[in-house]
Amino acid sequence: MSSRNHAQWNATPDLQRGEWVDSRIYSDEQIFEDELNKIWKKTWIPVCHESELKEAYSFRTMTIAREPVIVVRGKDMVVRAFLNVCPHRGNMIERRPSGNYKKGTPSGTPKTMTCMFHAWSFDMKGKCVNISRKEAGYQDRLNENQVGLRELKCEVYFGGFVWVSLNDDIGVSVAEFAKGSLDVLLPSLSEEPLEVFHYHKAIIPCNYKLWHDTNCEFYHDYLHYHNRITGFNDAYFARKNNGFDGGHINVGSFEVQYENYEGSHGREELSFPHLPPNHWYMIDMFPGVNFNLRGSALRCDLMTPLGPNSVMIEFRGLGLASDSKKDRQTRIDHHNSIWGPFGRNLHEDLLAVTGQGASMHPLAESRKILHGRHENETIHDENGMRHYYEEWGKLLDRNPSDPMQKFKPYPEFKEQVAQREAAAAVE
Amino acid sequence: MSWKAACPTGDVKQDKIKECTIDGVEIILVNVGDGFRAYPPVCPHMEQYLEGSGICANNVMTCDRHLWQWDMKTGEPLGPAEKPLLIYDTKEEDGQVMVFIDEELEYDFDDDDDD
Repeated sequence: MSSRNHAQWNATPDLQRGEWVDSRIYSDEQIFEDELNKIWKKTWIPVCHESELKEAYSFRTMTIAREPVIVVRGKDMVVRAFLNVCPHRGNMIERRPSGNYKKGTPSGTPKTMTCMFHAWSFDMKGKCVNISRKEAGYQDRLNENQVGLRELKCEVYFGGFVWVSLNDDIGVSVAEFAKGSLDVLLPSLSEEPLEVFHYHKAIIPCNYKLWHDTNCEFYHDYLHYHNRITGFNDAYFARKNNGFDGGHINVGSFEVQYENYEGSHGREELSFPHLPPNHWYMIDMFPGVNFNLRGSALRCDLMTPLGPNSVMIEFRGLGLASDSKKDRQTRIDHHNSIWGPFGRNLHEDLLAVTGQGASMHPLAESRKILHGRHENETIHDENGMRHYYEEWGKLLDRNPSDPMQKFKPYPEFKEQVAQREAAAAVE
Repeated sequence: MSWKAACPTGDVKQDKIKECTIDGVEIILVNVGDGFRAYPPVCPHMEQYLEGSGICANNVMTCDRHLWQWDMKTGEPLGPAEKPLLIYDTKEEDGQVMVFIDEELEYDFDDDDDD
């Protein structure tokens, strides 16, 4: 058989369940709503970095699962998160992406978050400090203590990232949530304060998981000339995709040969604490966070799913707060040459996922998407995606290969069994 | 500290608020017709800078945030205002408005680190 007709195209692949997924997981409206409710509203989401809130009274706004969120640094320098919604009439309190309340706003007083609608004001701890003409309207029936903001779970962890959860009952710290997936970079990012030196965001017409998939497999090295030229060698292919509970994975390191790429140079002169020169680690956290440390520069992708076929990705580059001017410039150059908007790799990844998004839009016929490579869990294996979708299926109680059916744990794959038996035979 | 020159008397016009910093102390000056008054720069309600938000008419100042008002000559609260304006002594000398600053006058605000 060569090309296939419609029935053949739609037939179940001759692979095990879990080795393919149904494209509706990337396009169905109801599945998307399920994901917001059962995943994004339940878990820890990193929303920014504390170096973006340096001064007391500074703030940033964002959304988690469409809920408006604000993080502010108090006079006591503690970072707190609140629902960015006025308890009076439900207005979104702060509309700017970032700023500082020290000097007040056009319709608000200094050091407060003030709703522009009726000038109810809140301090940096979310306490209401002004109900306009309170006694005239509420007499003694309502006071400030009854109308504080909704405070959200908030933790600064892993090199200063600010994590927020809409789930008051989450019951675990970020470290516990990470299930060990962050440990590989914890010493490098915790030694001294980090600082964001690059930020840009893009709204990409594809499902958020397509971006995460791309971060979870290296088979798409065929998209990246840079990776092939600087990477392909035995050590490169020996790198493992390590799965952790909770759907997280990370990818072990090797030494990148940057000088093999014309116009590029080794990065051994500048690294991160405890990181050997030219090494490269990657962490992909469920449900859609990427930390990517290439020697001298840390990249972080934070995703905000906007719809089944729309995602906002915020790209940050980070160095050490203590960087000299020269070192900082070197980190920026290294970051931008690969990951900047005009860098080698970033737009190549974006091209691929927008092509997937064009094919898997909400009204498209369902397709089979193959996640079936087995290569001893090394980087061209697709175990990272399988690991992710097993967790995804469990949380949504949907079978990724047939998402209108209930979840069943993935089987032990034939190839894994074969590899295990082959290894046992050698011993 | 002592009497300090703030600015020429002609710079403080009726129904306007003039901001000055004297030896690091921020004040605002107003002209009440038969003399001048100097107050701390912010509204005693919620720290709003009155140089931008104070409206002066007929010797009554109104903060445009929550409409607290004061008698500009005495600093006494009017309408919904619950606290008076604090006042520095002033006099005219050689065409200058002089302000007596012994120590900086500040209002008590409920700070957000009180619990």
